[in-house]
Amino acid sequence: MSPGIEIKGSQALQDEVRARRLCTLCGACSGMCPYHVPYQGRMVTLDDCNLAQGRCYAFCPRTPVDLNLLSQTVFGTPYPASELGTAKEVLMARAAADALRSRAQYGGTVSALVAFALRTGLIDTAVLTTSDEGALPTGRAVRDEAGVLACAGSNFVASPTLETFNREAAGDAQRIGVVATPCQTLALAKMRASPLENRNNIDKLKLVVGLFCTWALKYRDFADFLGERVPLDQIVKVDIPPPPANVFEVYTDSTPVTIPLDQVRAFIRPTCNACIDMTAEFADVSVGAAEGVAGWNTLIVRSEAGAKLVEAARAGGALEVEPLPDANLAHLKEAALLKKKRGLSNIVEASGSKDDLLYLEASREALRALLSGV
Amino acid sequence: MASIATYAPGSDQLLMGNEAIARGALEAGVGFASAYPGTPSSEIIGSLAEAAKEAGIYAEWSVNEKVALEAAAAASFAGVRAIVAMKQNGINVASDFLMTLNLTGTNAGLVVVASDDPSAHSSTNEQDSRPIAKWADLPLLEPATFQEAKDMTRWAFEVSEELKTVCLVRGVTRVSHARGDVRLGEPMPPGQAGRFAPTSPIQFASLPAPLKHNLMHQKLAKAKELFESSRFNWYTGPEKPDLLVVTSGSGWFYSLEAVKALGREDSVGILKVGTTWPLPEKLVLGRLAQTEKVLVVEEVDAFLENNLKELVGGNLSSVGPLTFYGKGSEHLPAYGELNPDLVVQALASVLGIEKPARPSEYVEKAQALTGLVTHARVVGFCAGCPHRATFWSVKNALKLDGRGGFVTGDIGCYTMALGPAGYFQLKTVQAMGSGTGLASGFGKLGAMGFKQPVVAVCGDSTFFHAAIPALINGVYNRSNFTMLILDNSATAMTGFQPHPGTGTNAMGEPTAAVDIEALCRALGVRVEVTDPFDLKGTTEKLLGLMADEGGVRVLISRRKCALVRARQEKAAYRMRVDSERCLGESCGCNRLCTRVFQCPGLAWDSASGAARIDEVVCSGCGVCADICPASAIIREVA
Repeated sequence: MSPGIEIKGSQALQDEVRARRLCTLCGACSGMCPYHVPYQGRMVTLDDCNLAQGRCYAFCPRTPVDLNLLSQTVFGTPYPASELGTAKEVLMARAAADALRSRAQYGGTVSALVAFALRTGLIDTAVLTTSDEGALPTGRAVRDEAGVLACAGSNFVASPTLETFNREAAGDAQRIGVVATPCQTLALAKMRASPLENRNNIDKLKLVVGLFCTWALKYRDFADFLGERVPLDQIVKVDIPPPPANVFEVYTDSTPVTIPLDQVRAFIRPTCNACIDMTAEFADVSVGAAEGVAGWNTLIVRSEAGAKLVEAARAGGALEVEPLPDANLAHLKEAALLKKKRGLSNIVEASGSKDDLLYLEASREALRALLSGV
Repeated sequence: MASIATYAPGSDQLLMGNEAIARGALEAGVGFASAYPGTPSSEIIGSLAEAAKEAGIYAEWSVNEKVALEAAAAASFAGVRAIVAMKQNGINVASDFLMTLNLTGTNAGLVVVASDDPSAHSSTNEQDSRPIAKWADLPLLEPATFQEAKDMTRWAFEVSEELKTVCLVRGVTRVSHARGDVRLGEPMPPGQAGRFAPTSPIQFASLPAPLKHNLMHQKLAKAKELFESSRFNWYTGPEKPDLLVVTSGSGWFYSLEAVKALGREDSVGILKVGTTWPLPEKLVLGRLAQTEKVLVVEEVDAFLENNLKELVGGNLSSVGPLTFYGKGSEHLPAYGELNPDLVVQALASVLGIEKPARPSEYVEKAQALTGLVTHARVVGFCAGCPHRATFWSVKNALKLDGRGGFVTGDIGCYTMALGPAGYFQLKTVQAMGSGTGLASGFGKLGAMGFKQPVVAVCGDSTFFHAAIPALINGVYNRSNFTMLILDNSATAMTGFQPHPGTGTNAMGEPTAAVDIEALCRALGVRVEVTDPFDLKGTTEKLLGLMADEGGVRVLISRRKCALVRARQEKAAYRMRVDSERCLGESCGCNRLCTRVFQCPGLAWDSASGAARIDEVVCSGCGVCADICPASAIIREVA
């Protein structure tokens, strides 16, 4: 980390992140020790750990972060002053195989890339997120395509998936891929850049597939709300169609249930208001919907490793790739920039001062271009 | 160790105060002894139970002190001498019956021993039992020595029979639990029970109350006369002392020591009162008239002190000017246990002498020396105690549940869960069964916005003593809480006495064991049973029960007390730590087993930077192997 960032311990994590409702439930602090345990949509600390420095604090995406340092570590280049983060190219993509597309949220690109990476041995373990009945998502380690398919689909509820990564890294897995939300990609990048002696076996991390994310929901309250409208164990799929729909769609075996999105927004985790990353900037590749193009994804290729994988998957017949229409790209950049500006504005409001960017204070230099509008 | 019945009459024996009391009862021909265990009184009925067969008497552990007193009263009504023993809290429990028995009157001698615990070394309150004598209009004796513990107990039966009422005997920790030489007398065999044949319709009733109340006062007046000539009150010192120390019970030893330490035998007199209530007024006034300064030395409340002031208030002309020193003047503290230093200080202060009881250099030296050989310790559960495992699961379940749930506590070894031993889980502690009573109240506040889950913990013996009515109250009034019964097959804290659930009685005879689980099920509530050593299972059951908000739920956490088990079978496992695997202080563990779990069988070896098993202390329960994040604690079947 840069000299300005102090790595502290569990108590500071409680005070600086949890007590301020900044926890994203990414799971990066858990799966490494007996103290931090995710449970039913909350990160619970079972006992006090009085170590002055710990991995939990170092990896948390809401403790002080230097985006320039992370960018150098992950990409070898400074943090760019652009809406979408480091990007080699932005494409449209979809899974080639029908089997994957039929299970997919949109184009099945994530499933296709992960299944391909497993099949070709780029990774031996994929850490994904699934939904058990009742809408509580959990991390799951899979080692074959069937496992990938079982985890296909979005659910919009925060999942402590990095707990599973931490456990796999400590276990027998040798080459791990993770499908991660933006805060989780930030945590994984912090793991790679961590100065602590305990490296958490981070060199086993070979692939990060990022997911676009505007916000995530709090499980417990949202599950109660949803449960009043649809029996939770009958839910097959949920979706948020692109604007101007402004609804939350719930698909069951019978008629779908449509809920006004504004009602769902009441359950957004407060910490999402302090996030500036819509497109998972620290991944090898990032995937989201392609607005107005049913059955396709937007695919951002960021790193060498990401570019290699995409090309291999395309050449290997697992992935179809097309150029992204200009209008889509423009909209994407607009949306991403809006999240950055809103995020920074919310942070300044929360801290009470333009001179205090909370966890992003050490990234003031990296964010200079954005700050003028704040 | 010989039982108290065995010792030969005329011999000198080193006896615990409680043993001396028990021997005194045998020498009075007691036939019936009952009690609920309570520190510092437990050994009274404990030693009578041990001697029961030999002495041909009956002794029982009753479910609570009220029933104990009722059962003993029956013996008295039927002409059998009876003794009941309890701690200060037991007086509270027995008081409902005592406050009608005093009006009723007794037949054969009935002695009630209250042993108080000043400073509450092992109690949930600090309370002086003596005021109940004044409240209930009953005679009260306070032994000051071990010999008196025996002799006054024997005499108490005579007093009780002469007055036809209960005679109270009050001890404290330093009389009950200390030991000294006692010259023994001849035990008397107990008489046979006579026919229960009331001579009038109201002979064994407390009614009509005003009539009986008047009769009770007449008995007390008779007691006063009796006590004027009691050999248990005496005076030592000059005829006209500069200062008169009036003292009772353990205060007498301290007063003797203080007067001697300050070298004031020639000017300070000591009036030792053995018949504390009713006061032998003529004797006391006579001594008060010979001085102008009085220092009262007694344990816990200013009972003797205020009674003396009351007496003086009604007899001003006969005593002359008097200044009282003691708890009222704050020369002695009105709380906490007495010790010789406090009395020396008080006496020195009243006499205007500069003499510290304990020189500061001595204190510093002593602290430095003891620091080398002893460690500061907090009260804690034994190695292998099932309560440690239970509260580990409770702690985790409450944190995971996340709604601010809390535990209402009760009395037993598990009371220590108020502190670090049980991870500070208990949030309330009062009387026997109160945890469940409080929970029954908390559980009705949901309609008023109360959202926190409540878990009432209760031991197996406590369950039988007092918690059943509270549980039924919760069921009947549809309260919402979880009752966690800690069933370790013993009344452990007071010395592993048996209780209705253990299948043995006080005299070691097998008896029907009451099934707690079946009893709870009979109330129609959801009942689950768990093994506390199954940490995961217990945590899950607790979470499930807390989430289920359908009225009262019961979880029985059942496993034998580690010390009881150790007497019956050898350890289940041999434990060791693989120091290579142990993560020690590093991130990922930070000494979970020695720093957080804190079983005394685990030790931190700072030289090797790893935990190790203390083989002397470890009881081989195996639980620590399940909490180690590195699987470094190895459990091998022994």
